[in-house]
Amino acid sequence: MLRTTLAGLRAHKLRLLLTSLAIALGVGFIAGTFVLTDTIEVGFSQKFSAAADKVDVSVLPVRGESTGVARPMSGAVLEKIRAVGGVADAQGLVQGTSALIGKDGKAAGDVPTAGISIPEGSLNRTSITSGAAPKTATQAVLDENTAEARGFKIGDTVAVLDSKNARHEFTVVGLFDAGLDQQLLYSGAVGYTTETAKAMTGAKGFKEIDVLASEGVTQEAVRGSVAAALGTGYQVRTGEQYAADLARSNGADTQLLTLGLLMFGLVAMFVAALVIYNTFNILVAQRTREMALLRCIGATRGQVFGSIVLESAVVGLLSSVLGLLLGYGLGAGALAVLAGAGTSLPSTGSAALTTRTIVLGLLIGLVVTVGAALLPARSATKVAPIAALRSQVEEHTFKAGLFRVIFAALLLVVGVGATVAGVGMVPGEVALLAVAAGGSFVFLAVLVLGPVIVKPLGAFVGWLPAKLSGVPGRLAVDNSRRNPKRSATTTVALTVGVTLMTLIAVLTGTMRVTFTQQLDDQFPVDYMVQTQDRGSGLPRALAEDLRTRPELTSVVASRETSAKIGDKEYQVGAFTAGSDFRPKLDAGSIDVLKPGTAVVSDYDLKQLGVKVGDRIPVRTTEAGTVDLTIVGTFDSGESNLTGVTVPAEEFDRYFGPVDDSWVMINAKDGVSPEQARKAVDAAAQPYPTAKVASSTELRGAFDETLDMMLMIITGLLGLAVLISLLGIANTLSLSVHERTRESALLRALGLTRPQLRRMLVVEALILGLIGALVGVVLGITFGWAAGQTLAADVVFQLPVLQILAFVALSGLAGVLAAVLPARRAARASIVGSLAAG
Amino acid sequence: MTITGEVGAWNARENTAPAVTARGLTKVYGQGDTAVHALRGVDVSFATGAFTAIMGPSGSGKSTLMHCLAGLDTVSAGQVHIGDVELTGLGDKQLTLLRRERIGFIFQAFNLLPTLTAEQNIRLPLEIAGRQADGELFDRVVETVGLRDRLGHKPTELSGGQQQRVAVARALISKPQVIFADEPTGNLDSRSGAEILSFLRTSVRELGQTIVMVTHDPVAASYAGRVVFLRDGLLVSELTEPSPQSVLDMLIKLEA
Repeated sequence: MLRTTLAGLRAHKLRLLLTSLAIALGVGFIAGTFVLTDTIEVGFSQKFSAAADKVDVSVLPVRGESTGVARPMSGAVLEKIRAVGGVADAQGLVQGTSALIGKDGKAAGDVPTAGISIPEGSLNRTSITSGAAPKTATQAVLDENTAEARGFKIGDTVAVLDSKNARHEFTVVGLFDAGLDQQLLYSGAVGYTTETAKAMTGAKGFKEIDVLASEGVTQEAVRGSVAAALGTGYQVRTGEQYAADLARSNGADTQLLTLGLLMFGLVAMFVAALVIYNTFNILVAQRTREMALLRCIGATRGQVFGSIVLESAVVGLLSSVLGLLLGYGLGAGALAVLAGAGTSLPSTGSAALTTRTIVLGLLIGLVVTVGAALLPARSATKVAPIAALRSQVEEHTFKAGLFRVIFAALLLVVGVGATVAGVGMVPGEVALLAVAAGGSFVFLAVLVLGPVIVKPLGAFVGWLPAKLSGVPGRLAVDNSRRNPKRSATTTVALTVGVTLMTLIAVLTGTMRVTFTQQLDDQFPVDYMVQTQDRGSGLPRALAEDLRTRPELTSVVASRETSAKIGDKEYQVGAFTAGSDFRPKLDAGSIDVLKPGTAVVSDYDLKQLGVKVGDRIPVRTTEAGTVDLTIVGTFDSGESNLTGVTVPAEEFDRYFGPVDDSWVMINAKDGVSPEQARKAVDAAAQPYPTAKVASSTELRGAFDETLDMMLMIITGLLGLAVLISLLGIANTLSLSVHERTRESALLRALGLTRPQLRRMLVVEALILGLIGALVGVVLGITFGWAAGQTLAADVVFQLPVLQILAFVALSGLAGVLAAVLPARRAARASIVGSLAAG
Repeated sequence: MTITGEVGAWNARENTAPAVTARGLTKVYGQGDTAVHALRGVDVSFATGAFTAIMGPSGSGKSTLMHCLAGLDTVSAGQVHIGDVELTGLGDKQLTLLRRERIGFIFQAFNLLPTLTAEQNIRLPLEIAGRQADGELFDRVVETVGLRDRLGHKPTELSGGQQQRVAVARALISKPQVIFADEPTGNLDSRSGAEILSFLRTSVRELGQTIVMVTHDPVAASYAGRVVFLRDGLLVSELTEPSPQSVLDMLIKLEA
């Protein structure tokens, strides 16, 4: 039997090529994911160990249980550690913010740059890549990325704001590598001597103390004595432990990436499984006589079953090996692309192909292939020996069994129920999970019902092609419906990819519109000025200046502070604006906001347990406790007003001249955006930390992020679609093989070669369109449902063009898949085909 | 194309020019030492409105002759005419259109498209050619082959004899200049076979249809008005008004 199977495989190498490719692509993606993430992880650990090699013991403060914040360690702690026996040296690390001023005179970047200390001596873990470490109070080093982005080099003088926004100048004496510290990489950093770092950042102490052991003392021994000397409240670890912990926490990030990518890999494998299942089903159907002949000459059912399973195992193994090679290439390629894109990934040189990757890749490929071939193998055992003697292969008529319908109905009920429940729930993770579960059940129902719905759908999508291309078109519609099970499995494979793509398109479209609307609600202006770190204030002169500019109008400035009402702190604020600024109130009017009154957000009303008309005692800094009557309320989600808003002049009397926290500006009608922007920038120029944002920029940035996300996800799902196209090509070429005599008959009756080709192309087009149509309907439905679970007032958006493009591309892809089988069918000689068995 | 419009009424063609003519027809498969000479220069013509059988032992080249005459296969040398159109030298597209317009086929097996009903199968050649079926003719053909109550059935729901009757009806419906039948009764029991052969003979007698049939069965051949005998790729003999016995005698003589 083994020899028969292997001979059969050798004889039909081409027949299984497309199947192999489907498996190889799936395995390749999964293997590639592992290669990529393993390599990144190895790189991280190497870099962490290298950094930790320099440190024998690291001391961190323990996070406070109630606050969750680690209190910095004082100089006394450092002195205590230095006094411990076996400690050769100990250095404290300082980290805070110190905003670097860019060449345009404004604070650089979206967030203030970090200020860090560069310790002296061998305990310096920061690697200075060029120049030297800072030695004096006027020297500083910049991280390489910041230096490059802001155009600074060694020898330049840079200005940095300290924690009180006072300006200091430093000479750049060197550049350093920010390494793997994600926070520093994001914000950029300026390095100083330890003392200067303390002064600039206003840090109260050290966030970490690194210890160097004396000659001949082990890390563990020093760790013990330091821990003993400090007592509780400190986390004391050896350098090795520290490196391992760092690598682990970073590994968690990598694991997230692995999981995310693996999801796409699993989708691809699922689609590949459908393709394999279909292929083996067709092969078994076509080899009915072969099987029957084997049974005639004495093969048992078990042997027939075994031969099919063995065939699938050989195919699975070969394609998995191919997939592993493909995966290694993919992983290495992805690393090269990432490195080329300048991402801060550690490079270790070569991609890592671990034993785990090899074992998992082979196992997944093998299990999926053999698993998908089990049902076809079982149906092969049902072939009766007598079938060898029948001359004509029977047409498979499909009838929807009662069991199938009931099962599908059950799945559908559960799926729709879960989805409806999810949509009805309060938006959140649970609701999203309910919708996801509902979606899966409905998809399974579609899978089960596939053979039933594919016939009417074939007639539906085939209507136009049949009209347009005459007899070939009509024959194609018939052919697409003649074997509903086969057509259904073929199209469902495509449906998987199209569903997910549509879902993502609908979700991103919905998020885009929802965000735009929220932005319009909360940012109903052209420009907004805020400080870089959102914490400090804007001098009031800024708003005054803006009001004098002729290009601008409706300048609204808001200031706020926290104050106790009862025993809890609330934000109390005021705004200055022209009389045309009418904040929307749910109750009352802004006109009644007179001294001695306040308007309070609905949220704060609930917190305070009061209602409009009640009085609240506000403890002020300048005027003692004042009793304010609530004269109005507003929706905190829709308004920019501070939770407790009082008249501007009263605010000053209560709290003194607090700086503005934000200023909103509109351009005057008829002023070009460039001019208006110039005016705002000019007004903000004297204040380095004042950052100007425009609604169009915010929208643009969000759009860009969404587009990027959509592109990446669609690209990753593209793999599943590619595999399903292999499935269509495979089904079609096997069908063409099966219908050799039929095609010859049509040719004899006067069908021209182009007509025969067109018949097959239209058949593929119909298959592609059915798959796309079902996918689009499912995708839109569940995209809508998932959107409802994201937030309370989501604005549903149907990206019509994108979805039409998916449908058109699916049809086109189907047509492409048909090109080769159609050519083969049209080229076959009529006489030869008529004689064929 | 000159061939369109040539499809006249059946009766008008009787005793005019031959429907199919072959001159020096040669067919060689392969090259050099392995070359097989299936036809070695056959000169034959088939009269319009006649029922002719081609007979010969296995390997005599009778199927190859039919394929070449019908434009399904290319010839190595010689000429074939269907009516006034010379087949040799026509491209695939022209050959296809010629088959569509002038030739009907009945094969031994696998004559019908499984996805179509009997009626759809019968109308298929007309649909491919983009022509309308003559309603009266359709009724007459369906009546002749006795398929009235089977028109809505798919081939799998028909017996072998019924399937061949559908094939006969399909060949007749487009009023072709010639019908080629390749062992049309090869797969049938003797009663169904006799029925099919009667239909063929009736269509020649009553409709003036030209039929060329390849067979190895002397009884089937005896339904024809003329039998031509092939041996080793050459036309060796012929009989007119044959009986099963005279055909058998001739075959035995040829085999000897």
